[in-house]
Formats: sequence, C-alpha cells, structure tokens
Amino acid sequence: MYFLTALVCTIVAGVLFVFFRDRKGLHLDFLTITFGAATLMWLVDCIAGAIAGEPFLSFDDPQDGWIALWTLLGGIGLWLVVAFVMNNGKKETPKE
Amino acid sequence: MACFLVSTVAAIGVTVAQKVALKSEKKKAEVAEGEIKDYKFGCETKWSTRLKYLATTLYTGSFLLAGEHVLHGEVVPYPPFLTAAADAADAAEMLHEMSTVGVAMLALLVAAWGFGVFLWDFIKYRKHKKQQKLQLKKEA
Repeated sequence: MYFLTALVCTIVAGVLFVFFRDRKGLHLDFLTITFGAATLMWLVDCIAGAIAGEPFLSFDDPQDGWIALWTLLGGIGLWLVVAFVMNNGKKETPKE
Repeated sequence: MACFLVSTVAAIGVTVAQKVALKSEKKKAEVAEGEIKDYKFGCETKWSTRLKYLATTLYTGSFLLAGEHVLHGEVVPYPPFLTAAADAADAAEMLHEMSTVGVAMLALLVAAWGFGVFLWDFIKYRKHKKQQKLQLKKEA
C-alpha cells in the first residue's frame, strides 16, 4: 500500500515540478526525488517479496495505513525543512 | 530488515565524493579562468551537482524507508537498534537481505540517477545545438 502511496506522490510531485519549473525556491525537484527514491526502493522490496512467494501488493498488514501516512507526511515534512534551510540558510555576500 | 542501511552508507560515501569533486572544480575554475572551452556533451553540469542529486536520492529514500522499519518494529531507539541483530540467526538473515535487496535498491537508485543525468545532459545538448543553428542562420 505504501508503495502505491509513494508512486502517486511521485507522480503528483513530478507534475507540480514540471508545472512550476521556473520557481526554483519551491525546490519541487527535491520533493520529486524524495518520493521517487522511496518508490524505487519499495519497488525492489515488492519484487523481492514476490520472488519469495508473497503477493506483490498486500493490504493485509494493519501497519500499512500508518506507513502510507508516514510516507506522505515524512516526505512533505522533510521537503519543508530542507526547502526552508535552502532558502534561508544562504551565506550573505559581503558588502563592498 | 535493514536494507536501507546499504543506501545510507553509500550516501555518506557519495557526499564525501561530492565534496572532493567540489574542491577540484574550484581549483580547476581558478586555473582556467577566462579560458574559452569547446562545448562537449554534458559539460554544462558539474560533477559536484550531479553527485549532490545522487546523495539526495540516497538520503531521502533511506529516510522514508527507515521510518517504515521503525513502524514495523525492526528499528528501535535502544541498543542494538536493529531487533534482528539481537539473535544470530536473525542477524544472518538480515545480512543476507542487505546483500541482496539492499544492494538491488542501491543499484536501481544509481541506475535511475544515471538515466536522469543522461536525460538532463541530452536536453541541454539539444538546446545548445538549436541555439548554434539559429546563430549560424542569423550570421548567414
């Protein structure tokens, strides 16, 4: 379930990145990379599970919902913190 | 179990490589100041920038996966931090998973980054070629 959540988040973040590509301050590339990386990692996890005989996608685990929520909030939270630091943490250039 | 650790360790290595690349690029920039270079495929993006994106990919992916492992109870905030490390049989299984799933995750992320870098360079190269053609037409 969290693989699908991450996949949907990647698509949404990717579309937003393309749509707002001129607004560098938003750092939507970072958000897309965050969700994209998690999607790829969970894809490998799903494939490994399928090879081991487990279903490719499973919705039985009661923790799945919480992990999906963590995926969404963790990704957005990390993006907010990093974007804030990137936008405000730049060293001031010395005045001439 | 702890497959995200492979990518985390790789991310630390990539960060070190990025810092080294940044230093060498600064030195090169000092030496080649004012020099006009020929345009080559991929010359517009610095290696330090490319490695920064790879490190970001590895760190952020590992971060989200670490959260998943915490929610699954595989990572705990007290020693030995990984529940599988407490038992020898579980530890062996964990190491096997790290060497198979963890390495596969890392390989896929690096491959995706490589494809992204190639695509970005290709777009920049096409843009440059178009501009070159327009310039030649204007001159003619």
